[in-house]
Amino acid sequence: MAPEAGDPVEVAVVGWAHTPFVRHTERSETELLMEAITAALAPLGLSRADVDFTCLGSCDYITGQAFSFVSNLDAIGAWPPKRDSHVEMDGAWALYEAWLRLKEGDIEIAVVTGSGRSSTGDPTLIYPMEMDPYFLAPLGVDPLTFAALQARAVIAAGIADERSMAEVAVRSRGRGDVDELLAEDYLRQPLRRHDVPPITDGAAAMVLATGERARRLVDRPAFVAGIDHRTECHNPGFRRLDDSPSTRLAAAAAGLGDRPVELAELQAAFTHEELLLRHVLGLGDEVAVNPSGGALRANPIMATGLCRIGAAADHVAGGGTRALAHATSGPCLQQNLVCILEHRP
Amino acid sequence: MTRFVESTITFPYKRSLGPVLGAFMTALTERRILGIRHGDRVLVPPSEWDPMTGAELPHDLVEVGPAGTVESFTWVPAPSVQHPLDRPFAFAFIRLDGASTPLLHAVDAGSPDGVEVGMRVAPRWRGQRVGRIDDIVCFAPGEEPAIDGEDGGPAEGPVTMMDYRASITYTNPVPAATDRVVAASLERRLVGLGCPHCGRVYAGGRGYCPIDAVELGPECEVDLPQTGTVTNYSIVTPVQYPGQTETEPFVRAFVLLDGTDVVLPYSPVIDLPADEVHVGQRVEAVWASSADAGDQGGMGGAWGALEGWRPTGDPDIDDPDLVNRIF
Repeated sequence: MAPEAGDPVEVAVVGWAHTPFVRHTERSETELLMEAITAALAPLGLSRADVDFTCLGSCDYITGQAFSFVSNLDAIGAWPPKRDSHVEMDGAWALYEAWLRLKEGDIEIAVVTGSGRSSTGDPTLIYPMEMDPYFLAPLGVDPLTFAALQARAVIAAGIADERSMAEVAVRSRGRGDVDELLAEDYLRQPLRRHDVPPITDGAAAMVLATGERARRLVDRPAFVAGIDHRTECHNPGFRRLDDSPSTRLAAAAAGLGDRPVELAELQAAFTHEELLLRHVLGLGDEVAVNPSGGALRANPIMATGLCRIGAAADHVAGGGTRALAHATSGPCLQQNLVCILEHRP
Repeated sequence: MTRFVESTITFPYKRSLGPVLGAFMTALTERRILGIRHGDRVLVPPSEWDPMTGAELPHDLVEVGPAGTVESFTWVPAPSVQHPLDRPFAFAFIRLDGASTPLLHAVDAGSPDGVEVGMRVAPRWRGQRVGRIDDIVCFAPGEEPAIDGEDGGPAEGPVTMMDYRASITYTNPVPAATDRVVAASLERRLVGLGCPHCGRVYAGGRGYCPIDAVELGPECEVDLPQTGTVTNYSIVTPVQYPGQTETEPFVRAFVLLDGTDVVLPYSPVIDLPADEVHVGQRVEAVWASSADAGDQGGMGGAWGALEGWRPTGDPDIDDPDLVNRIF
């Protein structure tokens, strides 16, 4: 039943699952999604027939197949016809669309996914083609170049140094010795191997539910307290790389300033990105950052951001009060999404 | 053991440049670099719009450089095939003289020690320029521009379009079900997969039921009949694009297999002129000879050695609903 006019619709994460994150899977993207969606729904006692809306996040460029998201529909069981959508973005943006859709109040359950098989091609050759087609793509400007230039700017601004970056790597991966890492050669100055993410295949699926349905499904739904995303101009030369105003705006709109968070899951594929994001968000030492290991431990492109929201939801489901999740897209943290999840009695 | 197949996809784009980028690209052929005034700033490369607000800028273009100063850089020890140079170089933000924003381009500096923030660089122009950002091969230390080879001179007229050829090689797993169906096609068998839940049967090596979202293993395989009825078709007039091998109009027909719910889409017809194809026509499968079969013969992909369909000569099926069966 639709709520009364003006009655705010609460939306919560009630469960999620992901496939194993591996360097190179032998399974198709559709098969990965099939596994992840089933694994997300089953513990809730839900089937695909219970799902009112789906939104899938994936990227044809990575898959190497036009309209690859149409094959991915095979994983959602799209008969009888379903309300469905797709974003050519990380699953975190699929979640944003599903959150908006659930806010209409006429449906109760949504599934969102993020999926990608990065091993399909060579990321250093694929990503330049997604850049500005006039000034960047013809030069083959690759992700490592953008990351290195931003790292240099962040270091020059005093927000990071090579040691603090290595410390992020050791903490995220749970292994390594900072001094030993700093003795390694540069991969792309000022980045070393430990500063860059792994190449990962995988998919994640998340179940969202509206207020009362969410409370009936699980003991501690992770309610979306606020979510917002902002973007910056597309030419990285036209903006400051030692700042992230889009993150700051999104966090303010999502309500970061309302109450403190205990945990932040940041989509920082490169070590300096975590330090820049912490700085911009004003996160102090009292906030646990990326206890999951973040994108430095597993970086399933198109699902990495959604996994941050999943890890933040796990914190709330496990007894936490409030957590922040961040997702990003584009070169040098061009576009940023912030989602704040909280426990509600 | 999963089989992987490598494929290269090429997108030959032609991009229109518009008044501002077109002027910039035209100027490159004249060995000049243009920026656009934005208040008291000069944006390089020029943008039609204010990058922050999206407001249209007056087309007030101004020449900058050609020399400039390195503001930041990263050394690229192992260039990719897409990079402007085939030896180690630096990607750098270069603030051209008179510009307020840096241009991202390559600097040919020999070694990581040969480049530093604050160093002066100048463009090295391609001899034959077409109006692309890589008309500048790279920048090199110093104040004076240089030309690679003989100077072909500027473009004859304004540059309005830009070619960009994106080409990517992918390696994808072939689903086991597809491999099994292709293997069966070499024995002239048309194999489908039946869903144990809903009973629907799928052709083309689809290893899962899209309705029930379950995987379909070898135990689900069934032999399909090799006769059917044309439900719908299209006559395709080939447009010549890169990779197009057809030159004459050709048919793609949809065939409903006898006694099943299975429609094979986009199938060629054999021994049947395009203008004689019609809905309700009875057809039978045609297989590539074993010598031709495999990756090269037949329709290829998940259809394996199936070449298409030819008329049986049997009387047509008269069913007005047939035309709706395309899936």
